[in-house]
Amino acid sequence: MTYSIFDFFTDPVFRAPTVGSMLMCLASSLIGVLVIIRKRSLLGEALSHASYPGVVIGLILISFYFPMQEEIIGIGILAGAFCTSLLALFVIHKMERKFRVKSDAALCFVLSVFFGVGILIASRVQTTHAMWYKQIQLFLYGQSATLMDIHVLTYGILCCLIIALFFLLYRSIEAVHFDVDFSKSIGIRVNFFENMIYCLLALAICIGIRSVGVVLMSGMLIAPGICARQFTHRLSVLLVLSGFIGLISGFFGNYFSVIIPEMMQVEGQKNFSLPTGPMILLFAAFLCAISFAIGLGTRYVRIVEHKWQCRLENALKSMWKNESIEASCALRFWLKWQGWVDEKYHLTPEGFIYASRIVRLHRLWEVYLVDYLGQKVEKVHRNAEEMEHIITPELEKELTLLLNNPRLDPHKQPIPEETL
Amino acid sequence: MNPYWDKNFFQVFMIFFQRMVQGFPNMASDEVQILVLSLVAVSTGLLGVFLVLKKMTMLANSLSHTILLGIVLAFVFLGAQVLNFEVLFVAAFISALVTTLLTQFLTHTIRLQEDASIGLVFTSLFALGVVCVTALTRSSHIGIEAVMGNVDALHITDLKLIGIIACINIGVFTLFFKEFQLTTFDSVLAKVLGISPTLFNYLIMILVAMTSIGAFRAVGVLLVLAFLVGPALTARLLTNRLKPLLFLACAIGIFSSLCGVALSRHILSTWHISLSTAGLIVTLIALVYGLTLVYTLRKRSGTHAGTGTKEEKV
Repeated sequence: MTYSIFDFFTDPVFRAPTVGSMLMCLASSLIGVLVIIRKRSLLGEALSHASYPGVVIGLILISFYFPMQEEIIGIGILAGAFCTSLLALFVIHKMERKFRVKSDAALCFVLSVFFGVGILIASRVQTTHAMWYKQIQLFLYGQSATLMDIHVLTYGILCCLIIALFFLLYRSIEAVHFDVDFSKSIGIRVNFFENMIYCLLALAICIGIRSVGVVLMSGMLIAPGICARQFTHRLSVLLVLSGFIGLISGFFGNYFSVIIPEMMQVEGQKNFSLPTGPMILLFAAFLCAISFAIGLGTRYVRIVEHKWQCRLENALKSMWKNESIEASCALRFWLKWQGWVDEKYHLTPEGFIYASRIVRLHRLWEVYLVDYLGQKVEKVHRNAEEMEHIITPELEKELTLLLNNPRLDPHKQPIPEETL
Repeated sequence: MNPYWDKNFFQVFMIFFQRMVQGFPNMASDEVQILVLSLVAVSTGLLGVFLVLKKMTMLANSLSHTILLGIVLAFVFLGAQVLNFEVLFVAAFISALVTTLLTQFLTHTIRLQEDASIGLVFTSLFALGVVCVTALTRSSHIGIEAVMGNVDALHITDLKLIGIIACINIGVFTLFFKEFQLTTFDSVLAKVLGISPTLFNYLIMILVAMTSIGAFRAVGVLLVLAFLVGPALTARLLTNRLKPLLFLACAIGIFSSLCGVALSRHILSTWHISLSTAGLIVTLIALVYGLTLVYTLRKRSGTHAGTGTKEEKV
């Protein structure tokens, strides 16, 4: 049986897991942006592992007192996970500040110890309550397939809470993150904000572990933010883009975790299920890789473009000076196509204006270097060779004004007049 | 018949030392566990001290995750049916290399901040490893065991593997002790003397990857971090000198492993509850750290009080 993408939103079995994992990834990718800006992405790693004992304790306690009531169990797990991640936050803070343990060692210690305690408690019910143990294991790598509408509602409300807080406090968050002194001076309580953001981080982690899992949660926190960061420098755009990427990877992670086992199914062999978490993270990482490729690609294109422009301008300059040039076929074609040279490769009026501007910039810069920076006359040529391609018209105007529109350059060659 | 059957905490120790004198005839599973975990503790104790001093523990975190992918890749490409030592060494080497190169690529070429690139690389590689393992073995069992460890499934071949790894660790650290000391505390002087800090950082990373592979079956990729960091931090509270630091870290690790195995046997005998031994040991490591912390804090406040009275007398 094959499913189309729309089936995942309409089919009663798939609807809840799809929407649920999308909401969870949305929440975590929004908070993740703040984590990246603060450069505390490894704190996310520690807190997500520290939520594991909370999951275990919450699940065992609630299942013990209220057996078979899925709604209460879900809330119990959330509450437990939130409590232990807050406890971990407190311990890390104390270790770093009070006992002067280095930050990385404190994070590592807390994450592995909390996780170990979680495993210890979970192993208590391994033989006695196999059903609970199985449920606990799902939180390691996430399994959204067992989500129900009631869970989605809970997670949806929490997500809305996080988004609403972002909207309400956007200005203050911006101020605190980029200029602590300024925000202190306008009366924002910085410490309160920092603590609130760490609490929100813990909350987002607790929301996310159901579909992404404890082990990979930290990756999912930062991956959408990193991806979005390649395209923008503005916080607001970053948040929107990162949330969008989170939504997409939540959907496709869930989609592939259903589709791939179906495709790999072989007659006569037992079915297997892929955990959702790794698939979501892999998809987000794939998007990151694409964004890196785009970023590198645009940087490379800009380099090539600049080199091409340099060659072009150098060729024009040589023609202006009536020197012989060796131009490649493509360069000659381009010069002709732009209308800078005619059929016999003589400069047209437009070409002449362009070339004389380049020469003017070169010689102006030489004058500036000698007069204002005290460079030796014989040394300035090489630097001017590079600068002539970079100086903007505004800069040219300023230079002309500063140097009092000189007639001769340091080598006693005439500087062409400014042409319009 | 397991000689430790139905024995309590102290009897386990007595029987263990009695049988140690006899040279462990028909090695029982508890003995394998104790020996494997002690060897793990020795390797990680040595490494952990340097990692903590060099502030490289998060790198250990990422390496211990990516070895899963390394093992899978070695398994697929070398087509080994039995994971013997050479294959695992290649796996460690691959994973250390891939992780480092990718992280460096992201930080230098893409100009991503360092913590984010570490976080992204190791979680993605680990996710890839988990997906590959799940798809290849058609069960999610190994993926779960990778993070939890399974001490009960240890076999005598694991003992050989971790034995070799521990020997390599001890050998490297005794051979290059001076170099490691120098690069850790004064990298500038080390460079002047012609010892490359980068080279020794890479050496440490390969050792970490290897040790994680040795500890992989026993304690899993996450709890090995507690073995690395916990004893080193505890020893750091007690001494400032490097050699005592190394010995103390190893001793604390071995002590926790011994007590952990004995305690898990004790709980099984008296209350018939089987607890995860790895989880128990990690909890013990944390407890030892907590107690040492309280002890040093009290001692420190005691000396403060002492100086206070002296000043009053003056």
